Amino acid sequence: MIEGRSIKTPELSNGSNSAGLMPPPSIIWALVVAFVALIVYLSSDFVLLLLMSATLAYLINPIVKIAEGAMIKRRVAVAVIYLGIGVAFVITAYFVFPRLRAEVNTLSSNLPFFSQRFDEAVDALQNEVVANYPAADSLFTTREVRYEKLDNFIEQQVADLPGLLSHLATIVLAGVLIPFFSYFFLRDSRRIVQFVLDRLPASHIETSVAVWCEIDRSVGRYLRGLAIEGIVVGTAAALGLAILGVNYPLLLGVVTGLANVVPYLGPIIGGAAAILVTLVQFKSLSVIAQVVILYVSLKLLDVVAIQPLAVGKGNNLHPVLLIASVIVGGHALGIIGMVIAVPTITILQRIAKLLLERRRYPTHVLDSLPNSNVPVQSYVC
Amino acid sequence: MARWRWLEQVTDQEQLLRLKLLGTVPLFAGLSRRQLGKLLVKFFEREYLPGETIFMEGEPGKALFIILAGRVSICRALNEGEELLATLTTGGYFGELALIDDQPRFASARAAEPSRLLILYRSDFEDLMEGQRTLAIQVMGNLLKTLAGYVRRAQSQRNGRNSMMVGQTPATDKPGMASKNVSHD
Repeated sequence: MIEGRSIKTPELSNGSNSAGLMPPPSIIWALVVAFVALIVYLSSDFVLLLLMSATLAYLINPIVKIAEGAMIKRRVAVAVIYLGIGVAFVITAYFVFPRLRAEVNTLSSNLPFFSQRFDEAVDALQNEVVANYPAADSLFTTREVRYEKLDNFIEQQVADLPGLLSHLATIVLAGVLIPFFSYFFLRDSRRIVQFVLDRLPASHIETSVAVWCEIDRSVGRYLRGLAIEGIVVGTAAALGLAILGVNYPLLLGVVTGLANVVPYLGPIIGGAAAILVTLVQFKSLSVIAQVVILYVSLKLLDVVAIQPLAVGKGNNLHPVLLIASVIVGGHALGIIGMVIAVPTITILQRIAKLLLERRRYPTHVLDSLPNSNVPVQSYVC
Repeated sequence: MARWRWLEQVTDQEQLLRLKLLGTVPLFAGLSRRQLGKLLVKFFEREYLPGETIFMEGEPGKALFIILAGRVSICRALNEGEELLATLTTGGYFGELALIDDQPRFASARAAEPSRLLILYRSDFEDLMEGQRTLAIQVMGNLLKTLAGYVRRAQSQRNGRNSMMVGQTPATDKPGMASKNVSHD
């Protein structure tokens, strides 16, 4: 493994293997970044589709890596895993979907009476509160004002329905395209990384690999953590609501699990949906309080137990930076922006740290170290 | 027989070759095939042209490199020119101190001929160690033996000895251990 030792001075190289007429790598990379930014700007829907496909690929990738570690060909592993997921999906659909569909059908058939039932529930709740705390009467609006507001809200939702239905085709198409794209992401990701690595300047490979690993790790941990959190919180919410006797526990569990991916706002959305259903069903403050306690407990369980287990080590972000990033992400890209804000800011922080590391140690810093005259081992580096 | 043919069809032969090479690297001596497989998926691969710099002396170390094919020169800057400390070939490894900390590199590494290297980033290695105590103890033990070999060698150089006695370090007790990699000139 070693071929002796001699004194010679090999030709210095800056790591670039490009010919003399080629523009500097920085210009090429700037053009590539500009081109990608243009594509993102022009076809945001397609980019969103690719992002969701990459998310699915990230969720499945750890299983592929286990298979790769067992020396199984990547394409075989991906195909078998996809088959397994397909079978699992069909089995889940067989047992869970009929019940979920029944809940959705019941909810849709009850929707026309929703306004009336909601109003009755609010009345009952208002009476209960006023009976216990008479001073609270002044805090409530009159029935007429509430009617008007509620009618406006329902009219607005009904007006939005055609728009929502027009998105249905896109949703169905995404349901087909996302697994399709993620299959190829999974199958070819190693080749894509290899392609990029082979084209990076040699002297920057170490930093590039470090940056890629940090991105991969941050995004992977975050997405897998979100998925696990969503499933656990959604399941726990469904179970809790079923125990409390609230209607549509499965549907509300799904809503809670899905909403949980949005930082800070998600649990509130899930809780609000459950409280709304409880209000209409029970018209009682005590059951609402139980549902609130259930959701607060779920949030605590999530923060104390699920997040540390699912996401692992914390992302070491300052809470203010975390909340600020979610707000900025929400303003810029809506819910998608809120979801991607945390991993994005984590990645930026890690990359900045890695790049600043290079500056921390100026070249040949060792020469200035006080013990540099101590004989050193042959090639420790 | 048909069963084995089926297994051959689904086995990644290139990955298997890398696994075999990894098994010969002294730093990973004593690891089971399963552990080596888990480690292997953490590696990146990169081809270097002759003369291309892999890393520079003084830069913070972030990764371990293993030579899959080719030759790599390890050099240290002098006031005038460079001192060639070693030339490593297939199965050799360098940059192992980056697995411990991010202190500046002691030497530069440069491809002496077209070479393919496996690259293991420190944090990926740490991640693996977190969940694999046996692997962590084994690799850290090997690394300590390597470092012990370096320390003894440096000490013997300081004492004016030109070569190290066989069996002086625990690392030489096992065939293929890291101290075998150190040039004994």
